[in-house]
Amino acid sequence: MPVSLAEIEKGHEFPPAEFELTAEWVGQYISAVRDESVRALGPSVVPPMAVATLCIRTLLEQSTLPPGSIHAAQELEFERSVRIGDVLSAAARIVSRGERAGWVLLGVSLEATAGGARVMHGRAMLTFPADPEAAN
Amino acid sequence: MAGSQTAPYGRGTLLPEVVHDLTQDQIGAYAIPSGDHNPLHLDPAFAASTRFGGTIAHGMLVLAFVSEMLTAAFGPAWASSGRLKVRFRDAARPGDRVTARGTVTSVAGGRVVCAVECVNQGGIVLVSGDAEVTYP
Repeated sequence: MPVSLAEIEKGHEFPPAEFELTAEWVGQYISAVRDESVRALGPSVVPPMAVATLCIRTLLEQSTLPPGSIHAAQELEFERSVRIGDVLSAAARIVSRGERAGWVLLGVSLEATAGGARVMHGRAMLTFPADPEAAN
Repeated sequence: MAGSQTAPYGRGTLLPEVVHDLTQDQIGAYAIPSGDHNPLHLDPAFAASTRFGGTIAHGMLVLAFVSEMLTAAFGPAWASSGRLKVRFRDAARPGDRVTARGTVTSVAGGRVVCAVECVNQGGIVLVSGDAEVTYP
């Protein structure tokens, strides 16, 4: 059951989700972002931003965004490249929650592992109106 | 394709720009692998009723253009040792010409640090921040 990001508190952990990097999914991603540099990564290597996209997808699948939500900032660190066929485990956790000038600021840590080794970690900063009526 | 392992990088070096003409079709295509079907990105009628006045691109789609530029510049090193820290400054919209660009700001201890940004055709900064990579 998805939970609303408007209601969850600091420390909330979303269960890790596994995702196989199939050729079909990676192809969809590369086609969508129209990445012409992917060949520079080497055969079968997945664009690193695709891993970050999957982590955020995990968050989206387990939560609902409050009206007026904005992706305000993003930090990412890539530690290992991954390839088509790898199975990623993606996890997210609420690491900060504050409010300023009527906006909630939510910090979400993201982590992806493959084969037991961390391949990426980062932090997303989301913001949304504290008063849902102010969303528009 | 760029991404050569021998290209010299020094302070002030400009990274190869990446330019994308953003379309609603591309935004729609990105929604599939990302799992982000927020109507703010996909539904012109809904988006028109928000403070954005129309659909906007997913922040992570715009960030993919930055990653494409860094892949072109640094090749596999970007996917295995890259760090990125950005703020989303403004919304990218269908019809925008989005340019990802960057400048090396320091080279020390095997790490190359770059200022990166995405701007639209009007010079409005959409994304800005810093990237860092261990470069052989």
